[in-house]
Amino acid sequence: MPGSLIHLDSLALVSMSAYLLFWLITVAASPAKDFTGSNRTQALLILAGTLLGYASGSVWLFLLGWTVAIVPAILAPTQGSSAARAALIASTAALALGAGLTLTPGHSARNAAYFAFLAATLIRKGIFPLHFWLPRAFETQNLSLLSLNINGHLGAYLLVRYALTMSPEAAADTLPLLNAITLFTSVYAALLALTERSPRRILGLLCVSQAAFILAGLENSNVEGVTGGLVHWWVVAFATTGMITVYRALEVRTTEVAQPAGFLGLAIHAPRLAAFFAVAGLALIGLPGTLGFAAEDLLFHGTLESHPLLGIALPLATALNAITTLRLFSTLFLGRRSTLVTPIPDARPAQRWALAACAVLLVAGGLAPGLLVSASTPAAVRIAQLITAR
Amino acid sequence: MDNLQLLLILIVALPGAAFLGLALVWLLGWTPPERVVARITATTSIVTTAAAAALAAAMVSRGTLSVRAPLGHWFTAGEYDFVLSLLVDRLSLPMVVLTTALIGIVGAFSVRYLHRERGYFRFFLLLHLFTFGSLLAFTAGSFDLLIGGWELVGITSVLLIAFFDDRREPVRNALRVFATYRIADLGLLIGVFAMHYLAETAAYQGLFTGEWPSQGTEASTSAATIIGLLLLVAAAGKSAQMPFSGWLPRAMEGPTPSSAIFYGAISVHAGAYILLRAEPLFRASPAAAAAVVATGAATAILATLTHRVVSDAKTSLAYASMTQLGIIFVEIGLGFPMLALAHMSGHTVVRTLQFLRAPSMLHDYHRMHAAAGGHLGRTGEHYHGIIPPGVRLWLYRAGLERGFYDALVDRFATAPVLHLSRWLASLESSSHDSAAHPAPAAAPVTALARKVEG
Repeated sequence: MPGSLIHLDSLALVSMSAYLLFWLITVAASPAKDFTGSNRTQALLILAGTLLGYASGSVWLFLLGWTVAIVPAILAPTQGSSAARAALIASTAALALGAGLTLTPGHSARNAAYFAFLAATLIRKGIFPLHFWLPRAFETQNLSLLSLNINGHLGAYLLVRYALTMSPEAAADTLPLLNAITLFTSVYAALLALTERSPRRILGLLCVSQAAFILAGLENSNVEGVTGGLVHWWVVAFATTGMITVYRALEVRTTEVAQPAGFLGLAIHAPRLAAFFAVAGLALIGLPGTLGFAAEDLLFHGTLESHPLLGIALPLATALNAITTLRLFSTLFLGRRSTLVTPIPDARPAQRWALAACAVLLVAGGLAPGLLVSASTPAAVRIAQLITAR
Repeated sequence: MDNLQLLLILIVALPGAAFLGLALVWLLGWTPPERVVARITATTSIVTTAAAAALAAAMVSRGTLSVRAPLGHWFTAGEYDFVLSLLVDRLSLPMVVLTTALIGIVGAFSVRYLHRERGYFRFFLLLHLFTFGSLLAFTAGSFDLLIGGWELVGITSVLLIAFFDDRREPVRNALRVFATYRIADLGLLIGVFAMHYLAETAAYQGLFTGEWPSQGTEASTSAATIIGLLLLVAAAGKSAQMPFSGWLPRAMEGPTPSSAIFYGAISVHAGAYILLRAEPLFRASPAAAAAVVATGAATAILATLTHRVVSDAKTSLAYASMTQLGIIFVEIGLGFPMLALAHMSGHTVVRTLQFLRAPSMLHDYHRMHAAAGGHLGRTGEHYHGIIPPGVRLWLYRAGLERGFYDALVDRFATAPVLHLSRWLASLESSSHDSAAHPAPAAAPVTALARKVEG
């Protein structure tokens, strides 16, 4: 574990830079009403907390960053968010318990701390059977703030930065089971999303499934799988941001999108929002030419190498998520638009530029993925060494 | 890098650059007018076709069996290295020449056919992406890179099926086709992993020895069987062979030029191409070769029955394509790669012409009858004499129902998955607060508006 308060290695620096960019794009592309008044303060708190978490060299500082980042979600007076609040408080409690146990000397205390950190990660990432809060939060909370919060992926960061270093022996013993659970989660959430009708819930389930991909990659014992997990981390962040901000843009323009009763045909009024949604969605499911392809290619090879049979879950979940993503796109944007319904405006200029930046990042990253893959490889080598250390 | 390598890179890169350029300017707010789009398409087509012809002429005159263009390492992590390498040999050269030439013809046809159509720009944008994807698939030097082109062909195909998105059926059919593609593509993804796992490479040079079509493989029989069967799943999906054949008639919802280039010419033959590319594996595995023959034969029989009874021109052509592809699969499985390649090339050209003429079929039909000075005799009469009437009736019914194929797939493949999904959702919803999601106020208004509009 890092010794100093602040520890800036390649993993921290890449994460901080990418998160800052992601935060700026989200704020610029989201509807203005999502970041007015106290929401603006909350967004800044999430930014500060997440960056502090990445930069931390001590688990206590990480706990502080984690707590600062989730305070807005806990205090948000949103209807029906009690499950999310309970889950976030439980994950913070588990993290605090783990941090406390690090002060106790002895092998068993370290093992206990590892399991506490693991519990915090699993709750925060929404891994089965602790996934229930995330789709529900998507249905009821401010989506833009929620996206800023979950796409920091502090749960995954906790696993690779602190949990694995705490007790490599316990990690080696539990990772096969953990890998099976995360792979199951990816397929389970993808199956749930397959027939879901609420777009918000679909987005939530896609995030659960894809976030499970990240953990499945990070739990591999080979460098390619871990690198795939780290690259996919940012694919999920930017791609889901693109999808969420476009959906929010539609939501503030028409209430039809909340529970679509058929194909809404919004592309005729908002073709560019449709295109941005398509690019982000296709990147999420790993279309060649987007960063998602490189991430999933590495993930598939790494996971299938570690678990030749169980690993089939990943391509299967990708296939199911792809079908769901296209179904959501078709529902929102394709079909005949009634001429008696007031037309909605397309992307505003600020939104257009921010979403174009997001699309360019996903596509440029896909055409030249070597940069991000190389930047992630040193951290991946260290993580893989930790896993195979015993 | 020599001139042939540069030509090869130019052929593949130019349509990709055209797509990226057009997409970027549109995303930033400018929709190029029809004339600009048509000129860019014509220029791209002329340059790529001329380059492909020059490449072919140079290879033939110099007696070059293959041209490889190494483009370096795309990304590397741990022991996994994604090498970018293009290859043109005696298998991919005909496909490249046909792709560039036929897409040029279809592009020129579409400029007038889609004039003032709402999706004019979208069509050409996707056509450029499709061109890039198919050329990448045919010139990839490894199965890793082939996946890239393969997936791009699939997604452009789906987006063009939903081209007339103001009607519900094209959108529904596009979704169905996409679902079929994604499930079948699992065969390719897992097959490529199996290559890395069992043979430690997915590059053609590593997997096969010699030059196509007299290549060999050092893979064991069991490895060849596993990889071959997985590739067969992917190929059957792309070439509309059983058990994935139901998507091809649904794909006819797209505009006629896209039906011609995708389902008459390039896209459906990509499945046969991948089998030809992996042909040494099928020679090493009698079981996998037998599966290819069985798949092709079963599809050819079902498709020819259906082709004879469907009433609309494009669907009939789709089943006719399926029949020929089935026969091509049989040729590949029986070990006649050159025959299969010649069959593919001829079928590609003829079927493209037939699809492009489909909107004028009635006109052509009357003209032929007028030229013959009366009605021409019906085709297929010779079957009637050898099939007993009872069997003939049953076959007719089976043809009308398209072999009961969709009903079987829906009953035994789609429905169980959807039931499982709904059952899991019902378990989840027992703790779900539905009161938190009141019905949106605008929904009834929209529904009413739709009703008023009929």
